[in-house]
Amino acid sequence: TAMNFGTKSFQPRPPDKGSFPLDHLGECKSFKEKFMKCLYDNHFENALCRNESKEYLECRMERKLMLQEPLEKLGFGDLIGGKSEAKK
Amino acid sequence: MGGLWHPGWRPVAFCGWRCIHPGSPARAAERVELFLRPEWSGTGGAEKGLRWLGTWKHCSLPARHPALQPPRRPKSSDPFTRAHVEEWRQRNKTTLTYVAAVAVAMLGASYAAVPLYRLYCQTTGLGGSAVAGHASDQIENMVPVKDRIIKISFNADVHASLQWNFRPQQTEIYVVPGETALAFYRAKNPTDKPVIGISTYNVVPFEAGQYFNKIQCFCFEEQRLNPQEEVDMPVFFYIDPEFAEDPRMINVDLITLSYTFFEAKEGHTLPVPGYN
Repeated sequence: TAMNFGTKSFQPRPPDKGSFPLDHLGECKSFKEKFMKCLYDNHFENALCRNESKEYLECRMERKLMLQEPLEKLGFGDLIGGKSEAKK
Repeated sequence: MGGLWHPGWRPVAFCGWRCIHPGSPARAAERVELFLRPEWSGTGGAEKGLRWLGTWKHCSLPARHPALQPPRRPKSSDPFTRAHVEEWRQRNKTTLTYVAAVAVAMLGASYAAVPLYRLYCQTTGLGGSAVAGHASDQIENMVPVKDRIIKISFNADVHASLQWNFRPQQTEIYVVPGETALAFYRAKNPTDKPVIGISTYNVVPFEAGQYFNKIQCFCFEEQRLNPQEEVDMPVFFYIDPEFAEDPRMINVDLITLSYTFFEAKEGHTLPVPGYN
């Protein structure tokens, strides 16, 4: 590997909460399909499909495929409890 | 007495004016003044004056008459004092050399500091982590920057020795900084044997990579696929809201996330790019 003086090399960082366990049994596949369909319909705009992604993660948490986390910590604070954050 | 002086005085005055050293009217005035001093009077005064009269024809070069020189510091012929003066001069020279060297060194250090600091950040990894904090409370409180839409495109690669079919399930996704997003990859093991893979990722452009934060993904851990198994691999990430405030990112509208899978064998250290 070339160690060029002065040029930065990319340092991959491990994810904050670790790795997703593989969904071998496809338990959350339906949620994923819903999310993908939403993305296709909305021209891949993530902002419009956040409900579906929230549901997918909730599915994972229920089936122990993901550590339980309050949804606010996952950035879904504005979708739960009717809390409206700055959406300008 | 006074009468004798008269004729002597006038030519002397001339002498004073004739012998003027170009550009030294002060000297001339001094010379004239000297003749007015009491030493010149007296019994020998006339002779001295006449002798001086004779010299005024020959005063070609500016008078180096010793008595005419402005009083100078007596150049001591005493060797002891001279040595002192020499020593002082030597010491001054040495000090000056040292001071000049320090000044040049400081200038050089200020130039060298830029690449050295960069190298330091590279090796200690502080360059990446110091910029954006990854605390989960940051995710909680971050506000999406709605007017800055970024396109994230996805790329998938496998190492030549790994026979998985690995591809993204969407070619691109449009996000804004501060908004968490989900994306999927799919991997299939077409062989008849379970295969364990491990992946790493890369973000292009490099400078944007420091704002790309993964909350959870499938990288850096061994993932086992059974024969003929196909799984969905999600990536949950967000772009740091500070991305919108970085002036270097002003033209960045496309970020490419690229995952590469390698085969993980027992006791095998991976040639994972980016690790040294």
